[in-house]
Amino acid sequence: MTTTATGTRTAARVVDAVKVYGSGDTAVRALDGVSVGFPAGRFTAIMGPSGSGKSTLMHCAAGLDTLTSGSAFIGDTELSTLDDRRLTLLRRDRIGFVFQAFNLVPTLTVAENITLPMDLAGRRADQRDEEWIDALVDVVGLRDRLHHRPAELSGGQQQRVAVARAFAGQPDVVFADEPTGNLDSRSGEEVLGLLGRAVRLMDRTVVMVTHDPVAAAHADEVVFLADGRLVDRMEAPTPERVLDRMKAFDVKALDTTDLEDEGLDDKALDPQALEASGSQEGVPS
Amino acid sequence: MSSTSAALRISLSSLRAHKRRFAGTFFAVFLGVAFLTGTLVMGDTLRASFDTMFGNAASGTDAVVRSADTITAPGERQGVRRPVDTSLVATVEKTPGVAAAAADIQGAGQLVGSDGEPIGGQGPPTLAGNWIDDPKLNPYRLAEGRAASKPGEVVVNRGAAEAGDLKIGDTTTLRTPDPVRVKIVGLATFGGEDGMGQVTFTGMTQADAEKYLTPKPGEAASILVRAGPGTSQRELVDALTPVLPEGVEAITGQESAQENTDMISGQFLTLFTTFLLVFSGVALLVATFSIHNTFAIVVAQRTRENALLRALGAARRQVTVATLAEATVVAVVASAAGLAGGIGIAAGLQALFPAIGFPFPDGSLVISGWSMLLPLAVGIVVCLGSAVLPAVRAGRTAPLAALRESAVDHSGTSRARAVAGTGIALAAVALTLTGVLASPSVWLAGAGAVLALAAFVVLGPVASSTAVRILGGPLDRLRGVPGRLARRNALRSPKRTAATASALMIGVAVVSLFTVFGASLKATMDQTVSRSFAGDVAVTAPSFGAGGSGLSPKLAPAIARQPQVDTAVGLGRGVAEVDGQGRALTVSDPVALGKVLDLGTVRGSLDGLGTDGIAITEKEAEKQHLGLGDRAELTFTDGKKQTFTVRALYGQSELAGDYVITRQAWAPHRGQDSDTLVAVSFKDGVSKAEGTAAVKKVAAEYGNPEVQTRDEYAQSSAGGIDMMLTLVYALLALAVLIALLGIANTLTLALHERTRELGLLRAVGQTRAQLRAMVRWESVLVAAFGTMGGLALGGFLGWVLVEASDGASDSTFAFAMPPLQLAIVALVGLGAGALAGLRPARRAARLDVLRAVATQ
Repeated sequence: MTTTATGTRTAARVVDAVKVYGSGDTAVRALDGVSVGFPAGRFTAIMGPSGSGKSTLMHCAAGLDTLTSGSAFIGDTELSTLDDRRLTLLRRDRIGFVFQAFNLVPTLTVAENITLPMDLAGRRADQRDEEWIDALVDVVGLRDRLHHRPAELSGGQQQRVAVARAFAGQPDVVFADEPTGNLDSRSGEEVLGLLGRAVRLMDRTVVMVTHDPVAAAHADEVVFLADGRLVDRMEAPTPERVLDRMKAFDVKALDTTDLEDEGLDDKALDPQALEASGSQEGVPS
Repeated sequence: MSSTSAALRISLSSLRAHKRRFAGTFFAVFLGVAFLTGTLVMGDTLRASFDTMFGNAASGTDAVVRSADTITAPGERQGVRRPVDTSLVATVEKTPGVAAAAADIQGAGQLVGSDGEPIGGQGPPTLAGNWIDDPKLNPYRLAEGRAASKPGEVVVNRGAAEAGDLKIGDTTTLRTPDPVRVKIVGLATFGGEDGMGQVTFTGMTQADAEKYLTPKPGEAASILVRAGPGTSQRELVDALTPVLPEGVEAITGQESAQENTDMISGQFLTLFTTFLLVFSGVALLVATFSIHNTFAIVVAQRTRENALLRALGAARRQVTVATLAEATVVAVVASAAGLAGGIGIAAGLQALFPAIGFPFPDGSLVISGWSMLLPLAVGIVVCLGSAVLPAVRAGRTAPLAALRESAVDHSGTSRARAVAGTGIALAAVALTLTGVLASPSVWLAGAGAVLALAAFVVLGPVASSTAVRILGGPLDRLRGVPGRLARRNALRSPKRTAATASALMIGVAVVSLFTVFGASLKATMDQTVSRSFAGDVAVTAPSFGAGGSGLSPKLAPAIARQPQVDTAVGLGRGVAEVDGQGRALTVSDPVALGKVLDLGTVRGSLDGLGTDGIAITEKEAEKQHLGLGDRAELTFTDGKKQTFTVRALYGQSELAGDYVITRQAWAPHRGQDSDTLVAVSFKDGVSKAEGTAAVKKVAAEYGNPEVQTRDEYAQSSAGGIDMMLTLVYALLALAVLIALLGIANTLTLALHERTRELGLLRAVGQTRAQLRAMVRWESVLVAAFGTMGGLALGGFLGWVLVEASDGASDSTFAFAMPPLQLAIVALVGLGAGALAGLRPARRAARLDVLRAVATQ
C-alpha cells in the first residue's frame, strides 16, 4: 500500500467512501469505507466481481454520483462542496469520460463530438488546443471520418471517438467505464492501446473500470474491490495474474452479489428503461 | 379469444405504466369533444327556450291574417311584407268562430334612456307597435302599471326599461325615427321573460302607432285573431280564408310562432352554432395531428418491446390490436370526459350570458341523444383514426428490430413524397388561380384551398428539414452548442417535426386567414368610403335591420338649412322587385346625391328623375339588359306595379346602391320612413370644426345620432369586423392551446427517447441551463416552422378568399396584408413554442445524470 503515496501527485482520490442505496432492511452498502488514490500520469484499472461496487466507486470519484459519507477529490477540490452547476463545470473542464456504450451525440459529427466539452464551455480553441486535437485525431486514426455522424461508424470507431473526446480538453483525469464492454476483442485492443498510449506518451491520467482481465492488464496498476471494500492492488498486471486473483472472488460472488447487483440497478432505472433492458436481454442475439 | 385478451392485457398494463404520455392525447380529445358537445347542447337549449318563449307569447293567438307576398332584397334574411288594411278587422270579427281580432302594427322605435343615449340598437331590433288591449292576443303581458290609453303614453318591456334606467312615470324620447315624446305608463314581459332576448319593444296606442309607424292610417302588419270556444286553429283558418281579399292569407297561431322561432334560429342560432362548430372542427383537426404524433412516437419507442413480443411469437395482428386497444381506452375515457366538460361549458355559458347582458332564458339544459352521441363518435373516430397508422406500423415491427438502435430517423424525406407534394401543390395553385382569375368560382377556389392544405401536410416533412435549417441558422452563432443541438434535434425526425408543427400550422393558418380577410374587408370599406364619399361629415344611425330605427327623413332638410352647410342629403332604403327579383333601392335626392357621393361617370342626367325615372349602375343595367331610355317595371311591397324609365347610368355603387329613385317616386309605396345615412358637405370657407358643431346641434334634436368625419365614418363602418376578429381569436386560442399541448407532448416523449443522450451531455459538462436552452430552442424551432407555414398558408387562403369573393360578387373587394397583426400572430406562435418547451425542458434538466448514463 505504499506504492501510491510517495512522490506522485494524485489526480483523483476518495477517502473513507461509503455509498448506501436504499434504507432500512433493503439498504445496500455499495461502498463500505473505501480509500484510494489514482496517481497522475498513471493508468489504473478498477476490478471486481459484479456488485463489488467498482462502477459506484468510479461514479462517485468522477462526480457523477454523491457519497453517503466520506469524501472524493479531483486534484485538491472536494466534490461534496460543489453544487450541481460547479460539479458540471468541473466535469466539463477537468474530467474526461468514456462509457461502455452510447458515448456520442448522434446529431453531431465526429469532429463536433470530439470538441463537445470545449464547445459547451464556449471556449475558443487556441493554437495549442488545435494542435493537441489535431494530434489526437491522428492518434485515434479518424481523420477521414471527421465529418461523419456516429451512426456511420463501427462500434470500435465510435469508442475511439469517445476516447478522443475524453482527452480533447486535456483533463486532469479520464474515467472509462467498461470502455471495451461492447466491442469485439480486436476493437477493444485498439481502444485499450489508445488509452495506454495517452497515459504513457502524452502523460495523461486514466481510471478504468472493467471486469475483463485482459483489459485490466493494459493498466499500470489494478485495484480490486469486493463487497464495497478495497481488497487488493496489483502493479504491472498480466491477464493471468489478474484472472487468478479474480478467481478467488468468484466462489463467494455466485451466491450473494448477483442479487445485490440487480437490486442496485432497479433503483437506478425507470420503468421505460427496464422495458428496454428487459427486451435487450430477452432477445437472442 | 385468449390471444386478443393477451393483447388487451398488454395494452392495459402499458397504459397504466405510461399514463403521462397520453396526457397530451387525452387533453386534445377532451378539449375537442367538450367544445363540440358544449356547442350542440347550447344550441339545443337556446332553440328550446326560444320555442317555449314564442309558444308562451303567442299562446292566445289562434290565427294570423297577413298579406301573402314578401319582397326580399339580396343579402337580406327577412323579406318586406305588404301591410293589411285595418278595415279587415271588422270583416274578420264577423266571421263565425272568431272571438276577437286586433290589428298588429309593427315598426321601428328606439327609446332614449335616462342618460340621453339610445337603448340597444347594436344588432337586436328595437321594435315599436300598438299596445293590443286584448290580453290574450297581445304577446306582451302587462307586468306593472297600466296599458297605454292616451296619446303619448307607452308600455315598454321591462328589459328595455332596465337597460335605459327608465321607470313608470318617466318621460323620454322614442325615435320612430322622428323623435316622439312619450310617457311610460306600464312595463311588460314577453313569454314570461323581461323581453325577447335583447329586443326592445315599445307599445303605443293604436292611433299613435298608426301616426308614427305607418305611412298612412289604416294599415297594420297583420291581424291577430282569437278563436271562440270549440273552434280549433285549423278550423279558424279554414273559416277565415274565404272572406279574405286576394293577396291576404291566414295562418294558424302555431305556424306563426314556429315562423318566429325559425327566424330567430335562422338569424342568430344557426350563425352562432355554425361558427362554433367550425371551430370545434378546427380544434379536432389540430388534435388529430397531436394524437397521431403521440401514438407514432409511443410505437417507435416501443419498437424493442414489440419486437420482443413478435420474437416470442405474437402475431402482427396481436401487436396491432394491442396498440389500437390502447387508443380505444384513451379515446373512450377522453371523449366521455369531454362530454361532461361540454355540458359544463354549456352550463357555464348559461350562467355567463346574463352577466354580459344577453338574457339566456332560464330552464334546464337540453341534452339530446344526438348531442351526446355525435361528439362521442367524433372523439373516438378521431382518436382511433389517428392511431391506426402507428398501430399498423407497430404490427409490422420485425422481430429483429429489437437489436437495432435507430437514433436518427430520416423517414419522411423521400423523393416520392417531395414529388407527390409538389404535384399536389401545383394542382392546388392551378385550381385556385383558375377559380380566382380565369373563371371566378368560389367552389374551384375552395377546392384549391383544400388541396393547398393537403400539399402542406404532404410536403411538411420535406419542407421541415430545409425550414428548420434556415430558421435555425442563426442559432449556432447566437446560442452556441445548445443552439446547434436544438437545431439538429429538430431535424432528427422530419416527419415528427412536421406532424408536430402541422397542428400549430393549422391553427396559425386559420388565424392568419381571418386576419387577412378581416383586414381586406376593412380596406374594402375604407376604400368604399374614401372613394365614394365626397362629403365632409356623415350622420349615421343603425338602420332598422341592424337594430336601430334609422334617421328621421326630416334631419337632412334641417341640416341643409344651416348656414354652414352646402348640401345635406339623406339616403333611405327601399325594396322592390325588378324582373321578379328583389332589389334594394336607394331613396334620395339624386341631384344632391351627386354632390356628396362620387357616383363615377354618369351617363344621362340625374336631374328630373321625377316620379317615373330611375338611375341604375352600369353593371346592374348590363345584367338586366337595360339601357338609357329603356323601361323597367318595378313591383313594390304594396303590390303596385309601376314602370320607370332609365334616365341615368352611373359607375360606382358602393354607397349609393344599384338603383336610385326619388323620394317622390317612393312616397306612395313607402313603409315607415327613415334614412340610414345623411351625407353633408360644408360651404367653402367653413372650417371642419365649425361645420361639425352646427350639424351636431341639429342632430341632437333628432335623437342624437352619430356625426362622423370621413375618417371616423370609414373606421366605424369597419368596426364590426374588429369585434368579429376578437371573437375568432378567442375561439382559435383553443386550437393553438391544443397545438401547444401537442408540441409539449412530442417533446417530452422525444426527450424520453433521448434519456441516455441527455445523460451523456450532462456527464461531459452540459449545464442544466444549457440543457434547458437546448430543449426550449428545439421547441421554438418546431413552432417557428409551424408558424411560418401557417402564415404562408393562411395568407394564401386569405388572398384566395378575397379574390374569389371579389370575382363572385358585384362590389369590388380589396386585398390587404396587415403586417402588424401578422407579425403579432408570428410572435404569438413563437412564444407558444417557447412556452410549450418550458415544462419538458424543466423535466429534462431534472434528469439524474447517473441514471441516464447507467441506462444500458
